Amino acid sequence: MSSGYFLDPETVIERLRSQGGRAWRTLRFVLRDNSAKLGFVIIVTFGFMGIFGPMLAPYHPIEDTLQQGGSMMRLQPPGGKAVLGTTSFGKDILSQFLAGARPTLIVGLFGGVGTGVVGFLVGLTSGYFGGRVDEFLMRLTDLTFALPFLPMALVILSFVTPSIWIITAVLVTFLWKMPARVIRSEVMTVKERTFVKSARARGAGHLRTMFLHVAPNVLGIGFLYTAYAVGWSIVAGASLAFLGFGDPTTTSWGRMLEQVFRSGAIRVAWWWVLPPAIGIGAVTTGVFLVGRAFEEIVNPDLQTEQE
Amino acid sequence: MSFRRFLLKRTLIAALLTLIAVSVIFATLRMLPADPFSGLVASGSLTPDEVDQIRAMYGLDEPIYVQYVKYIQNLFTFQFGISLTQQRPVGEIIIPALVNTMVLLLPALVATAIVSSLAGMYAGWNRGSWFEQSSIVVTTVFRATPIFVTGILFLIIFSYGLGWLPAFGMRSPLANPDGYLETYLSVDFLKHYLLPFAATVLFYSGDFLMLARNSVVERMGSEFLMLHRAKGLSEMEQLGRAGRNSLLPLVTYFALRTGMLFQGVITLEVVFAWPGIGRALVQAILNQDYPTVQAAVFIMALAVIIMNLTADVAYAKLDPTVEAGDV
Repeated sequence: MSSGYFLDPETVIERLRSQGGRAWRTLRFVLRDNSAKLGFVIIVTFGFMGIFGPMLAPYHPIEDTLQQGGSMMRLQPPGGKAVLGTTSFGKDILSQFLAGARPTLIVGLFGGVGTGVVGFLVGLTSGYFGGRVDEFLMRLTDLTFALPFLPMALVILSFVTPSIWIITAVLVTFLWKMPARVIRSEVMTVKERTFVKSARARGAGHLRTMFLHVAPNVLGIGFLYTAYAVGWSIVAGASLAFLGFGDPTTTSWGRMLEQVFRSGAIRVAWWWVLPPAIGIGAVTTGVFLVGRAFEEIVNPDLQTEQE
Repeated sequence: MSFRRFLLKRTLIAALLTLIAVSVIFATLRMLPADPFSGLVASGSLTPDEVDQIRAMYGLDEPIYVQYVKYIQNLFTFQFGISLTQQRPVGEIIIPALVNTMVLLLPALVATAIVSSLAGMYAGWNRGSWFEQSSIVVTTVFRATPIFVTGILFLIIFSYGLGWLPAFGMRSPLANPDGYLETYLSVDFLKHYLLPFAATVLFYSGDFLMLARNSVVERMGSEFLMLHRAKGLSEMEQLGRAGRNSLLPLVTYFALRTGMLFQGVITLEVVFAWPGIGRALVQAILNQDYPTVQAAVFIMALAVIIMNLTADVAYAKLDPTVEAGDV
């Protein structure tokens, strides 16, 4: 038998396959919910824009300045050459909107997945081993709770030049505590169950027990919090950009809002405000709608009969 | 473990956390490479000698550990030093800003906690109804959308589009009120208040609604409710019994939210130019006014720690099933 009591590649692949099947069934179940369907469509559209948006943009979002009759097209309402109008610097808003999806997506995706992975591993370790390990890791989460996230992020970003990757790293540093706490308390109930104890009794090592017997049972919560973390990361990234602490070399939706706000054009140029504002709102709402429907499945307490 | 020992342990941990958090803030700010005065030398408005004098005035010429000890002493006696850019005590800048923020946020949070929780309990009780579905979708939209985006949309609709409400600040430029009472009790203030208040209420409604709804749903199948039903209590009376049981998570959550309030609305204060502590922090960071930055971050950290402690203690006190030793 290939499943010796250590982690071998075959067992891992087999487990991953069965988890994949489970994930697919769960997704189909989640998508029976109408608002989750809507959220899913928004997320897929956003992902598509994040990948192909810059190629679809009719002009370069920063370098191309639109001209008409020899003069710069400043703050043109939608129509004609610029389908969604222009900024006060004569840039095409449709192009900025399409190109701006990518940095928003990168920060959200990597910030969210990073947060999920770090939080999952910390929670798993803390809950599984308990004792001093747990005490240490939980005091560490207490500390990151005590340091206010946005103010600290602003201070840090004020002395490094913000890039998408630094912003992502800052997000993960401050957000991992959320999944970590929840995963930990789940692990603490799972590890007391009979099948975990019997695995240990049959001689499975700590690593194997942790990842093959305990982890699959808290994976659902892990995914739920990763999904939420994607939402939080998008919100946090956009907030930082809006406050002027975004990556200065890219056009993200948060930065578009910063520019329209700072330039004072917000008074008149609704066509400059609406695309990024609706974009950010729609994506984060989409993530939360799917998350909510998923939570109804993961949280067994909510599964009472509907009347 | 008795409740007193539990309280003592938690308080000690909170005090220790404060000390560590404050040290991290100190270290972070000292890592800043740019000396706020070097810019003044480069622009020619100060000679290097004058800079040395100023540095001595702020105690920046002393060894780092002396600075650290002084910094800790000063913070815990609420001596925040002198602002680098405004030449007045940081306390004079921060305290009114803090009051402005609380005047905006506490009523908003209390209002949304009460209204949204009641709506949530009603929604949970009528599971599957259109009210449940639509209230969840609407509050999820406002909960998910960043608060400054909601604020900006309110601005372009109600201020710039319809012209109903002012867009900027806390009072009109001509108003020159005297004292807190005149500042906060006027029609002019109310007009400035409505939009940021509404944005905050809507933003925080989602969590309270879901918490209340979930805990009612969780209790719907429980035996004590069946007993109440068998006793012949009306629907509303039963909901009242189920709702009382969901107070615990709501109270805890309210405390946690209050602690995170100041940092949560930094962007909102910027959007509405509300002269609160969040906006003061952003401006201080942009101006490299470190004493003000230190003070603002310290107050925000302290708020979180104190309210977390309150939530822990309230939880242990309110829930008879929690053995303090397990917490």
